[in-house]
Amino acid sequence: MWARVLVAVFGVILLLVGGAAGYLYFTFSPSVNNIVGQQVQRARGEEDPNASRNGADILSGPRINILLLGSDTDEKFTNADGSHSYLAQTDIVVTIDPATKSVGMLSIPRDFYINVPGYGMHKLDEAYALGGVASGNADYSPGGVALSRYTIEQDFGIPINYYAWIGLTGFVQVINTVGGVDVDVTHPITDDNYPDDVGNSKDPYGYMRLYIPPGPQHLDGITALEYVRSRHADLVGDFGRSARQQQVLSALKTKLNNPDIIGKLPTIANDLNGYVKTDMQLSDVFKLMNFARSINPNSINKVILDAPYSSTGTLPGGESVVFPNCAKIVPVISKMFDLGSKAACNIQGSTGNTSVAGVSPASSPQVAPVAEIPQVSSDSLQTASQLASMSMMSLFAGGDQYDFSGIHSLLDLLLLTVFEAPQALQV
Amino acid sequence: MRKKQTSKNISKLSLIWKPRNSSLLLLLLLAFGLQGCFGIGGSNTSNTPGTKPITTNANGQQVGVNQTQNLFKGKIYFTIDHNLWVIDPSNNAREITHGGNLYDPAISPDGKWIACIARYKDYSNLIYLSTTGNSAHLLRSGNGKYYQDGPYVKSTYYWYAQPAWSADSTHLLFLSDFEKEDWYAATGENAPLLDLQVFSISLNNPSKPQDVAYASFGDGGDRDPSYRPGHPNEIVYTHYAYDAATQTQQVIQIFLEDVTQIADHPGLYHPGSPSSAFDPGIAITSPKDEDLQPAFSPDGNAIAFVKREASGTMGIYIMHVPENVTATPNDPKTEQEALIPYKTASHILSGQYVSQPVWSPDGKQLAYISYDNSTFDLWLANINYNAKTGAYSMQGSPVQLTSGGIDADSRPFWTT
Repeated sequence: MWARVLVAVFGVILLLVGGAAGYLYFTFSPSVNNIVGQQVQRARGEEDPNASRNGADILSGPRINILLLGSDTDEKFTNADGSHSYLAQTDIVVTIDPATKSVGMLSIPRDFYINVPGYGMHKLDEAYALGGVASGNADYSPGGVALSRYTIEQDFGIPINYYAWIGLTGFVQVINTVGGVDVDVTHPITDDNYPDDVGNSKDPYGYMRLYIPPGPQHLDGITALEYVRSRHADLVGDFGRSARQQQVLSALKTKLNNPDIIGKLPTIANDLNGYVKTDMQLSDVFKLMNFARSINPNSINKVILDAPYSSTGTLPGGESVVFPNCAKIVPVISKMFDLGSKAACNIQGSTGNTSVAGVSPASSPQVAPVAEIPQVSSDSLQTASQLASMSMMSLFAGGDQYDFSGIHSLLDLLLLTVFEAPQALQV
Repeated sequence: MRKKQTSKNISKLSLIWKPRNSSLLLLLLLAFGLQGCFGIGGSNTSNTPGTKPITTNANGQQVGVNQTQNLFKGKIYFTIDHNLWVIDPSNNAREITHGGNLYDPAISPDGKWIACIARYKDYSNLIYLSTTGNSAHLLRSGNGKYYQDGPYVKSTYYWYAQPAWSADSTHLLFLSDFEKEDWYAATGENAPLLDLQVFSISLNNPSKPQDVAYASFGDGGDRDPSYRPGHPNEIVYTHYAYDAATQTQQVIQIFLEDVTQIADHPGLYHPGSPSSAFDPGIAITSPKDEDLQPAFSPDGNAIAFVKREASGTMGIYIMHVPENVTATPNDPKTEQEALIPYKTASHILSGQYVSQPVWSPDGKQLAYISYDNSTFDLWLANINYNAKTGAYSMQGSPVQLTSGGIDADSRPFWTT
């Protein structure tokens, strides 16, 4: 009798687990498969720092450096063939030393006027556009990732192990999917020079004006993005911006802790699809974000290469740029990335290149230093296996948050890039 | 209308939403399956008994109005998705406009006009229209363009916000940044003054605005201006600034002011940084607290306002208006006297987010916006005044007037 009951119970459990695995596979696998494992071929002669790692776990072995790229996703540069090119407004290199558990975060201004290999002097954000047109899925450009990565490696001597690319529209969509966020805006937000780079703008260097009134209110995705991105709304600079980000993160956390979110997880996964791309595997992202959440954000060595590491100026044509101060930069990156004498500031290239806005760059690339076709290594079964693994790992980890199918970790990756701050991982 | 119990249920579920064992995974997966089979998990709708649905807002929520008769007297104007709505004591709700870009309706005392703000991508316009929603008139346009000024990118776009009528319906107070390029010399700042300041215009001559109150540089400027009933030369507003000593801490205070000061003393006052500005406003709340959104009682003797409380909640309070303090606003003794009524302000109610208090025309009720069930809605509180003690208090429990979510970034208006 008891044997029959046990068999029946076991059968029901098996059925449920099997159904669950099938559900995971069909619900999340297509989206996640399109996000992780997006390998981008390196340029000829470019050293692959992962070659010497011999397949070591991402959090063991030697130091790893991850390039975070955040780019707009509207159609600013429409090429003759109908394809589009985009800028990378956010260029951050995160460095992790697994041995010491130390973490550094280097933010390089998008307007850094430096040598883009094969293209001469350009702003750093233009490397993404020069690298190639957006291909296929949404607005992701593998060639853009490759050239941005190559530029940072060549100009500063920083080896890049992995990359993650984020489309800002993904943040907007996630916020809208959870029904917006409700915050108390502590003071009126005014900004006459907010970048007009999301939505229907056609001007890559255009500005728009913000006025967000103070007091409790509901913010939709686009307004929440404006609220956390504005850099001119406080006299206290990044402190004020950080406080605003904390408000939105806290409100988002409230939404994500609501049981209603279960029904929205597939939509959130779909929101991320096309707006998050990385060559890391899902298990790597999961481990990385769990590690990042476990450390005190205040212990992270965060360096922004604005003054005194750089100074603003204009080119003869009137274009505003940021000039790097190599004497200040080299010692900092040498220490942060443990580069020793390999730290570089090879920022000088041939001059006279017209800015991206002026020449529709993607239509006539001068040199193609990198391949533009991504070589996707992950397969569906691998992803499905990782999906189930993520759910079980997070379940037994006993944390405050439940990372169903690694969606939370992928969301963290997006927030880290959009907010350009480690505090984003506290959601 | 009784408050829905959903929030309690959510709280309970939230407690178990930190899984500790594998059985929960099975439950979750089962929930997924059920969701897929039965389509559970769609957008919430307001099914609160006693409410009448009037529209569905942009967030997919059904907005309802309490159907209890005679909860209030007069008409209350507010916005849903920035369309103007009005409700009356018979709970008739009427949508006045449909453009989706209007803010801060203010009804003229003669009952003929609605002044409000029409907002666009980079600017806003100050307009007024008839109370039926027709005959829109443009008073001030903020439209402009971006232009290059040497290495700087500047614009001729302007913001207009929060109009408020004078008692005789001939003048409007409003906020704007249209003088943003005019103050370099006075502020000593090599940047335009983007912070909004208070101005007034005559309806007959809107092209000639008068400076009324100045902003401190950098914290967003002034908000919530309104004339004091029975005292045509006095106004109140919220002043956002940084502390003068370190310029790192926000100081959010309510100011009282004589509107004739700037006009009568040309060149004396000017905006600027917290340490250099010289303005005719006098603080009537403490710099140690964050007080905002003042609203005069109909007799002009009291101000309801919002305080950000130390506990992280927000509260609505009522204080008496200090008398005879606006003529000498920068006199230290007067500055101390102006703070005396604040010390005995009456606490009315608190909540996670409460904001935008407005008085009923008879002074017996307050309407305000409160955050419940993850939406911002209008609530009513009956107010009692004890003439012996001078204290205000709430009578009974607040009543929810709308459900499903209205705009909290647009101040409501209550008229006869």
